[in-house]
Amino acid sequence: MAYVIVPRHERTQPLRIVPGYPQTPWRNPKQPLIRRPPTLSELTGPSEVAKRVKLLGGDIAGHGEAQAIGQLMHLKLRVVDEDGTPVGGTVVEIWQANGAGRYIHPNDDEHAPVDRNFYGAARLLTDERGLLELRTVKPGAYPVPTKDGWWRPPHIHFSIFGKVWLSRLVTQMYFPGEPLNGQDRILNAVPDTAARARLVARLVPPTGDPANALVFEHQIVLRGRKATPSQP
Amino acid sequence: MKKRKAVRRRLIPSGEATIGPFFPPRYVDAGANDLSQLEDRKADGEVIEIAGTVRQEDGTPLDNLVVEIWQADANGIYRHVADPRHREADTKFFGWGRAATDKEGRYAFRTIRPGAPEGRARHVNVMLMFSGLMRILKTTMFFPGEQANEADPVYRAVPKARRKLLVAREEALGRYRFDLKLRGAHETPFFDD
Ligand SMILES: [Fe+3]
Repeated sequence: MAYVIVPRHERTQPLRIVPGYPQTPWRNPKQPLIRRPPTLSELTGPSEVAKRVKLLGGDIAGHGEAQAIGQLMHLKLRVVDEDGTPVGGTVVEIWQANGAGRYIHPNDDEHAPVDRNFYGAARLLTDERGLLELRTVKPGAYPVPTKDGWWRPPHIHFSIFGKVWLSRLVTQMYFPGEPLNGQDRILNAVPDTAARARLVARLVPPTGDPANALVFEHQIVLRGRKATPSQP
Repeated sequence: MKKRKAVRRRLIPSGEATIGPFFPPRYVDAGANDLSQLEDRKADGEVIEIAGTVRQEDGTPLDNLVVEIWQADANGIYRHVADPRHREADTKFFGWGRAATDKEGRYAFRTIRPGAPEGRARHVNVMLMFSGLMRILKTTMFFPGEQANEADPVYRAVPKARRKLLVAREEALGRYRFDLKLRGAHETPFFDD
């Protein structure tokens, strides 16, 4: 089935050069970006990425006695396309800070403690309903090394492949009611209020299994919809 | 009587965000930059190397930037259902790869020379993800000395003066260099689809 990708509304996508985000003016094109006619090349893409990369389990909050420190949470993520059709069997790469705001990464060696029982990364496949579940702890906020006291609110990073090359997405998910959300330069780089709101997960009643975990639901919409058969 | 059109709900694509400075190094799997084989079987076609450096406006090489490529097989067929010829695609060629730049800003892929897909010159699709890139940057690499470049619709979409920046240089037989400059002098043309 052919897939169609149309340009997005600019206001639903982040500015490329972000005030107060000092790397952005050095790294984003000065020349106008070029519109090109979509060809088969952009409307195809890697469809079984799990053949080339290793999947990693969706329970990153520790096991048995060795539990990660922080607020245990379950994330129910749903991946759909612009038709609302579930995108099943696609690879989702997830990474986040631990409960204290520290990543497992050589670039993060500054401030917060390491948690040996926290794994920090999961690489999963969506099921045929476009769903996946992650058992984790709620990530902590962390400071960005700028001079003026910018802190990132709690957030989880995602990299998703989707059906075609142009549906590839890198995004972040935020938590409802966080005081730092209002000042975050990355979240607020998206001009449209409703588009920003869609980056925030929803807290839902706990399912009771396990009873001690907060449950969040989040939907990610990838670019692309099925081609409408032409009308007479 | 009025014709009734089926109303299809259209959802709005999620907002992009930077990959940030902490993309897990383990996500750049060993061998993910080698497209010349799949599950230990050698792909059809001529093995080539594509390498280059990624720099920001002031010329600083960028470390730990993620580069991904997508290309057709030796016969110009994509391993994807939307390609009408996908049943004939080389089963030993996956078409996708990922690399990360080192401290000198260098990336490298081993792959096979793509065939020309229907209506296109032979090319490799490239995307870049990095801290400070709020959106994925997308470009296309073309091969030098190809007459078909001039007729390629994506190549032609680029202003004439900038087209040569999309053409790799052949440094040695089968060794291509494709440097990327994110901003400023010799800025790589990037696409907005
Ligand atoms: Fe982060």
